[in-house]
Amino acid sequence: MTSVLAIGLVLVTSLVIGVYGVRAARSTSDFLVASRRVSPNWNALAIAGEYLSAASVLGLSGLLLKNGLGTMWYAVGFAAGYVAVVALVAGPMRRSGAFTVPDFAEYRLGAPRLRKLCGLVVLVIMLLYLVPQFKGAGVVLSLVSGTPYWVGVLLAGVVVSGSIAAGGMRSATYVQAFHYVVKLAFIAVPAIYLVVHAGPETRAEALNPEWGTHFPEATPVEFTVDTDFSLDEPVTVTTPSGDGVELSAGEHTVGQGTEYVFPEGATIPHPDGLPELGSERWSTPLLDVGGYPLFETWSTLLAITFGCMGLPHVIMRFHTSPTARTARRVAVGVIALLGLFYLFPMVYGLLGRVLTPQLVLLQGTDTVAVVLPAQAVPGSVGTVLTALVAAGAFGAFLSTSSGLLLALAGGLSHDLFQGSVPRLRLAVVVGAGVAVLLALPAQMIDINVLVVWAFTVAASTFCPLLVLGIWWRRLTLAGAASGLAVGAVTATGAVGWSILFTTPAGWVTVLLAQPAAWTIPLAFGTMMAVSGLTRPPDWAEHAVLRLHSP
Amino acid sequence: MSPRREKLTSPQTRIALARGNRPAQHLLPIPGPVDTEAARKLFHAQRRTAVRTVALLTVLLFGVSGAFAAFPVLGHVRLGGVPLSWLLLAAGIYPLLFGLALWHVRSAERVERRAAREAPRRDEDPGRKR
Repeated sequence: MTSVLAIGLVLVTSLVIGVYGVRAARSTSDFLVASRRVSPNWNALAIAGEYLSAASVLGLSGLLLKNGLGTMWYAVGFAAGYVAVVALVAGPMRRSGAFTVPDFAEYRLGAPRLRKLCGLVVLVIMLLYLVPQFKGAGVVLSLVSGTPYWVGVLLAGVVVSGSIAAGGMRSATYVQAFHYVVKLAFIAVPAIYLVVHAGPETRAEALNPEWGTHFPEATPVEFTVDTDFSLDEPVTVTTPSGDGVELSAGEHTVGQGTEYVFPEGATIPHPDGLPELGSERWSTPLLDVGGYPLFETWSTLLAITFGCMGLPHVIMRFHTSPTARTARRVAVGVIALLGLFYLFPMVYGLLGRVLTPQLVLLQGTDTVAVVLPAQAVPGSVGTVLTALVAAGAFGAFLSTSSGLLLALAGGLSHDLFQGSVPRLRLAVVVGAGVAVLLALPAQMIDINVLVVWAFTVAASTFCPLLVLGIWWRRLTLAGAASGLAVGAVTATGAVGWSILFTTPAGWVTVLLAQPAAWTIPLAFGTMMAVSGLTRPPDWAEHAVLRLHSP
Repeated sequence: MSPRREKLTSPQTRIALARGNRPAQHLLPIPGPVDTEAARKLFHAQRRTAVRTVALLTVLLFGVSGAFAAFPVLGHVRLGGVPLSWLLLAAGIYPLLFGLALWHVRSAERVERRAAREAPRRDEDPGRKR
């Protein structure tokens, strides 16, 4: 109940700030003029607020609990993406006067037809990014209020599309800035409290995974899906009827709906295909899901770092700065804010291994940040801490998905169809509807897997388009179009294949699940090779030089 | 009283919308730099700075993760009870990223200032600003 109240409070405060913020921003004739009155500090806060999604607030700690320390590379990638943004696109994009990638393509290559292709890619990226946000909202709501998962997803879709259609948070920089503060405070305060409260024994256990992972108390585990797991040593579990069942060491398969109570101190069984909690593989800080840790880490880093600059809602944000110079400086401020935030998700993952390891068996690790406080601190303090994290997660979901949905709707109504404002409203509703439908079957897919998929597509499509468009005079329309098509098809297809179908373990699986290492060079290569075969127009050099003239 | 709302679109979108489905009759209005030679020089200097920053970023990210793979001992050496590799990954790398970005901005702005200083000498057109 407290959590529902806290979420409601974040919602109401956002709406209030939004109403006043929108008024302030709309009172001048031009969006850009209005944003000139926003100081770079506020602007950086707002960008960080929009950027920190459910993937950062819930997904990181959950994946750390499940896959191990290597997960923190995701966070590093999210921050490093802004270094690439500062170095490669922030200034020139601001000078181009283009709000979106399709706009930029039109400026640089002078081809209206490329708009449709770009619009399609925007659609794919934004949907892939929206689905995990809705998933996060559904999971959090069902945890704190007991409603089924689908109710939360549906409610999230209605709230976000409703709040945008009713007037929008579009230019409300202050709302996004408020959300950064909410997210930071609501994840940092419980984290610090938990670390202090946990006591020296739990802290030492969290920092020494090699001591093994045990159930901290007699823990009932209800398997919601069929689960394969293996045990290192035999254990006697209790069924709800009170009978003892002896599970031998080795492989086990339990059916959906089975309920076992594991005794205190028993070693955690490890589900099939996951690293053993606390093992060397878990505690080595490299991403190791398929058995090639260095390759997987590098491929993921490439996807996230280069994907960041191709994300439509990131690019749109450069225009809230009055000049190219400020745009670059604001992006540097964002890195500092992200680095500060990313100190905390690790706390939940590490303590979660000690205090709530059963989440791995339940395939519900994305909920660890919300479940942990109540588990670690019984009583009203725990309830309040849970409420804080839940509200922070909801703020994350709200600000990110609003930005995403607007970028999606903009792509739908401006680039794919000739649009007007009523059409934009319709596009918001349609976009949210599709994302909700896709999020319903996605409950078991990790938030971060989906988010990195979106980053991979962005890195294999818009990243080469922007980088070559800004820094290489010989890019041509044919080159850009073929590179975009190749990158979009390979990146979307590879990850989709690896999620939908099982592939033989080994290189094939890894290359499909982490395709950035080959799709990004492929997209760059295609763009450059096809551009080499065609001639750029005479004015191409001027278009490029213009991007770099202060 | 709330002021009237305005529809806000970027210049490029306005051009595209105004054109509708008709093919482009004339190319986009790209205001060319007055002094092409100076602009080229500035472009190359900026590209060098960008390449340097991206190269350093690659070395930093791949280097640190490569070190974790090559030297497992980083996970066993402890600093205040925390494995060194965890500390590096969780906290140590962000100041480096921030410093790298800051350095890039400083360099890029220096290049721009130098270009602005040289512009009046190179450019004989008295109407040009800067």
